Amino acid sequence: MQRNITRKLLAGLVASLFIPLGAQAADAELMKKIEAMAKEIESLRAQVQANQEANRQAIADVREVKEKVQKSEEKSLDKWLTVGGDYQFRVDSLAGETKSFTDVNAFFAAAQTDAMSNPAMMGQMIAFSGAMSRVQTFQQANAFLGANAAMIGGLMPYAAQAAIPAYKPKNETLYTNRFGLDLNMKATQDVSVTARLLMYKTFGASDEGATTNSGSAPFFADRVGVFDGTLGHIPSSSFLNVDRVYATWSNIADQDIWFSVGRRPSTHGAPSHLRANTARPGTGGTPALLVDYAFDGMTIGWAPDIDALPGAYGKLCYGRGFESGFSKALTNSLEDTDMVGLSVVPIDTDPLRVWLQWNRGMSIFDAPKMASTYFGTTMPKTNLGDIDWFGTGALGTIKRLGPGDLNWFADVGMSVTHPNDNVSSQFGFQGLMTGAFFSPEAPTSKTGSAVYVGLRYDLPSKTKLGVEYNHGSKNWITFAPAASDSWTSKVGTRGNVYEVYAIQELNAKPISSVMAKSFFRLGFQYYDFQYTGSNNWIGAPVRISDVNGQMMTTAPLSKAYNAYATVEVKF
Amino acid sequence: MSRTLSQLLVSIALATAALTVAPVASADDVKMVGVITKIKMAGDGKSAQAILKDGKSGDAVTINITDDLTLDKFKDKRIVEGDEIRAKFDNAGGKNESKSFKKTAGC
Repeated sequence: MQRNITRKLLAGLVASLFIPLGAQAADAELMKKIEAMAKEIESLRAQVQANQEANRQAIADVREVKEKVQKSEEKSLDKWLTVGGDYQFRVDSLAGETKSFTDVNAFFAAAQTDAMSNPAMMGQMIAFSGAMSRVQTFQQANAFLGANAAMIGGLMPYAAQAAIPAYKPKNETLYTNRFGLDLNMKATQDVSVTARLLMYKTFGASDEGATTNSGSAPFFADRVGVFDGTLGHIPSSSFLNVDRVYATWSNIADQDIWFSVGRRPSTHGAPSHLRANTARPGTGGTPALLVDYAFDGMTIGWAPDIDALPGAYGKLCYGRGFESGFSKALTNSLEDTDMVGLSVVPIDTDPLRVWLQWNRGMSIFDAPKMASTYFGTTMPKTNLGDIDWFGTGALGTIKRLGPGDLNWFADVGMSVTHPNDNVSSQFGFQGLMTGAFFSPEAPTSKTGSAVYVGLRYDLPSKTKLGVEYNHGSKNWITFAPAASDSWTSKVGTRGNVYEVYAIQELNAKPISSVMAKSFFRLGFQYYDFQYTGSNNWIGAPVRISDVNGQMMTTAPLSKAYNAYATVEVKF
Repeated sequence: MSRTLSQLLVSIALATAALTVAPVASADDVKMVGVITKIKMAGDGKSAQAILKDGKSGDAVTINITDDLTLDKFKDKRIVEGDEIRAKFDNAGGKNESKSFKKTAGC
């Protein structure tokens, strides 16, 4: 075997001596090329590795940038802050018809003027006024009137000086500016803060004189002046006030349960959004027939998921209408005025929304705190009792009824007073819906009722045509002084109110938000008062046809007209 | 007295039971709360898909919506991307058919 290999090797070596020299040179060249290629491959391999490393680094960099962008997006303003608002220019043309009455304020002013030049009379007047202010109850009022019959009789001649004959108040053009700024801030998961800042002023004035009949007896209790619950809802000044601010904690215990506290969205509730051309209130808000007042308070609500009752929810609400401060046994017997309410909405969908509401106002005050009114600075001086309100209503939309959609609503309410034994000394011993000036009436419960119905037809041209009617009975009293009506809150009218309006939206693409829009509104209101004291819980109503010179604190209107137009921008 | 008390307790129990009656969800029903990241309307406007980012897991969940009430809200922009939604859907076969789709309540 060893021998065979040696032989083959020798044969090969001999044979190689015969290979041409040129072939040997080509081999060397090939070897060189192979070596060069090997080096190149090695270089490429290194390059690929470097590229792969660079790619990995790039991917890591991109991921880092993405994470940073995501974190930045999560913290960006539009993730947690929503800004919106509205502007409204409005012109009102107001007219009315009053009945003759004796202006209580003018009556005492006339007596005081004479007393200024008569020291004896001045002393009597001061004593009379002091004793009058100490009267607290119905019994004390009767005793006071009996003991001071001579004094009152002596003052009666001044009634002639305070007699106001029937007249026709008129304001052909009342221009106003209103600006609202809405902010919603998501603070943490499930917790947000909502705020609305509001400015509402008259052209050419920085006070509420244009709506309060400044210098003369005002027409309605809710338009004597601006107070806590109407601030920003009655034209007053250019100040931007906090109309709403509240914190909401939602999704409590992973359920549709929420708790909310602060200055509440308790104004301009359903169905007033139809004529205001604003979005339908969600689970917030109150029925406009019963409550339209800027309350500070809180709510706890629950929206159970019931297949048969889509959108159903209920909530328990609390609000403070007046804070009486420290109690002082000798000088301050006032109690806080509070309101509690229970709202049940068994169904809330576009075609149908139904609501049931109960409220109780407790320790109702006789006058809110107001500055610079016809009566000077007013403030609560007594608590007159409690009032219950009950209401039920429904609203809905019938789509494609003819060329457009028909919105409808119907609402009914009932008020029941529970007077205590107190009377208001600053209003001539009138009580909770009882008595007249210097003519107290034993406290008795009074029940009133109201109905409010309306339609709005929305055309594809973005034209919306509306008609509304409401009626309040003799003893109807609501809690809606912040309503947007210029004369007085129409839903508190003891009588009839008819309203028609037309809205024309501009066909313009929204920019600031998906809900942005601009529109014009034209409307007309006609008030037909049947009893005095609409929106006033002090004193018993008097049939308008029976009014003829009686002593009254407000001027009794028998009819009122209001033609209005607005330019409104929602952003 | 004890009979009256018993009657009262039974009444309270019945009333409580009546008040706490909740719909019996089927085994395939899923409930979640999440923010809408995307709404895709079908061309004919008769259905839509909404992608919700689950508030708990952070997962993206696609839900198919066919009811007119919700579709109208999409069309009118009453529900838009960024809104927090409480949804109930049937995930049988992974289809995620919406049974309830509403903004979380509050205020």
